[in-house]
Amino acid sequence: MAIIVKLDDLLHDRRMTLTELADRVGMTLANLSILKTGKARAIRFSTLEAICQALSCQPGDLLRFEPEHRSSTEATR
Amino acid sequence: MPTPASPSAVLPIAHAALRLVILLNWLMGAAIVVLLVAMPNERWIMSAFDLTPSPDTDRLIMALRAIAVIGIGIIPLHYAILKRLLAMVESVRSGDPFVAANAARLETIARALLVLQLLSLVIAAIAKTVSTPAHPVDLDAGFSITGWLAVLLTFLLARVFAEGTRMRDDLEGTV
Repeated sequence: MAIIVKLDDLLHDRRMTLTELADRVGMTLANLSILKTGKARAIRFSTLEAICQALSCQPGDLLRFEPEHRSSTEATR
Repeated sequence: MPTPASPSAVLPIAHAALRLVILLNWLMGAAIVVLLVAMPNERWIMSAFDLTPSPDTDRLIMALRAIAVIGIGIIPLHYAILKRLLAMVESVRSGDPFVAANAARLETIARALLVLQLLSLVIAAIAKTVSTPAHPVDLDAGFSITGWLAVLLTFLLARVFAEGTRMRDDLEGTV
């Protein structure tokens, strides 16, 4: 997946645990774990909004685009 | 994790009926093989169909044998359909029918139904070729609007299942 979720870094910076974030945004720990480990296939705007509000950040702070090797090769053609 | 739907009497009945039809299908296959192999005596066939010796009769017997051979080929096709239907009923009973395996099963069923419809046309053509006013061959074969509609619907249903499975996978990965 070319989209990297930086939830771990954000939580570390804010000294917050995943369980605390789950409580604040009203999500299950399992779903947040899926997001944190990069296993999610999609994220709802409502989820993004809740996380950004809880962590006082922007969507761009949470997500980063890193082109995969094959994609970058194709992009240079 | 999907939870099984409320119990319905339809599924156990469908399961039992399919198992019975699978058994009947094999019995029918065995009967065709017996007719074709164990009773090659033309006189027996002529007396069974109340035929009199003539060139037409020879052609008729050849045609009946050809149709029987096609009939033997149809048995595995029936089995392929029934076995997959049974597996689909099992998946519905377990509460998880929207899986890629069921989409693939429906696709195979649709292909088998298509071949069956084509074979039905071949059987009808053979019967028409040898049918005479003296010895009319009236078989329940040929073009069937419902049969071709079933082929079309099954192909469509296979696509619906494939798309449904993909959408469910996406939904399960959405947070």
